[in-house]
Amino acid sequence: MRGLLLALLLVVSLPAMAFDLGKTLGGKSLKIGKTSKTEEIRIGREIAGNLLGAAPLVMDAELQKYVNRVGLWVALQSERPDLPWRFGVIDSSDLNAFAAPGGYVLITKGLYRTLNSEAELAGVLAHEIAHVVKKHHLKLLQKQQLLDAGAGLLGEQVGKDSDSVRKLIGSGAEICARSLDKGAEYEADRMGVILAARAGYDPYGLPEVLQAIGHAGRDDGRVALLFKTHPHPDDRLAKLGEAVGDRLDGVKDGKMLRERLYKMKE
Amino acid sequence: MRHDLFLLGALLATTAAWAGEPGTALKNDSLRAEPYGDAKAVGSLNRGDKVDILAKQGAWLQVKAGKTTGWVRLLSIKRGSSSGGSEAAGVLALASGRAGTGQVVSTTGVRGLNEEALKSAKFNDADIQLLDTSAVSADDARQFAATGGLAARRLDYLPEPKGGAQ
Repeated sequence: MRGLLLALLLVVSLPAMAFDLGKTLGGKSLKIGKTSKTEEIRIGREIAGNLLGAAPLVMDAELQKYVNRVGLWVALQSERPDLPWRFGVIDSSDLNAFAAPGGYVLITKGLYRTLNSEAELAGVLAHEIAHVVKKHHLKLLQKQQLLDAGAGLLGEQVGKDSDSVRKLIGSGAEICARSLDKGAEYEADRMGVILAARAGYDPYGLPEVLQAIGHAGRDDGRVALLFKTHPHPDDRLAKLGEAVGDRLDGVKDGKMLRERLYKMKE
Repeated sequence: MRHDLFLLGALLATTAAWAGEPGTALKNDSLRAEPYGDAKAVGSLNRGDKVDILAKQGAWLQVKAGKTTGWVRLLSIKRGSSSGGSEAAGVLALASGRAGTGQVVSTTGVRGLNEEALKSAKFNDADIQLLDTSAVSADDARQFAATGGLAARRLDYLPEPKGGAQ
């Protein structure tokens, strides 16, 4: 994959072709650091809207307000507190959570039901917040765009209008079914633990959820997509354990807030 | 006396979710006499070792491994009974890409959020707007945090462990 990308980059950069990627895209190529915040949000909104087409929001206004309060409080501890953060619980029995560029974070009802404390919710949301902060999905789209460029599909302005956004993100919410590289997932785990701790929560909420997910059987359809797109929870726990070591020994007064976790109505 | 109080605290902090459960070591680690990084080592665990979880205290688990009882960091232990060999085989299968394909068996009878469902999803305008109306202000979030006794703290991100992403 990386080899292919490099090869394409080489082809694209051949001077003889006098080929300027940015120019060809009308100055709107999706370069990291060059995609404006407005474009990033537009891209994320399209992805989130499509995901909501596959699984709508759970009709419980109190629940939705609650996850927004927890989520925004955690996001405020990140390097991008000023994004228009949006959090939601979607009506799916799958165990999964999703992030889209610009601050969109959605968690399934199935995963929410496995939670035992607000600290666990904060940990899950913090992992997704980390993906947004590090622009992991934006980078994935950029990579895809370069591949498409190699395949001769260049020429669209990107992120400028909804048509070009649609072309960029592909069909529906398919980007949510694609894997980031493992390193990005481990990074989001490491950041998620810290973001939750910065917000005053017990840092071990996310690992606790990973423990629970790890217990789901491999033939359990509710984790099929999660297991396909993420390293196994055991590996994530082990990696997190290596990264944490004694670094959180000083963090002792984090809150679990078991009793404040909002109980779903149905 | 202090020690007894501490032990009492440890017992009270024990959660039903952990105590009495079996577990498996996810990595090699030391067993310590007390739940501190600088406490005396009383034994060691090798990856894959089976333990019985006796108690939880903060980020530490008291476990019994064979004849040795000691404290180990909770991130070093996978909770629950796993049938060792098959679990490891599962991880290997996943790593080699053999698992996770095909096996999309829904146990709920509801179509899951699989690739196909995501790909064919159509933009849900009503719900994206509903998502906007559920958003809260930063002040609201801060107030909510304060109500729960949550105080923000400074903490650096964790560096990537040596050995890289793999």
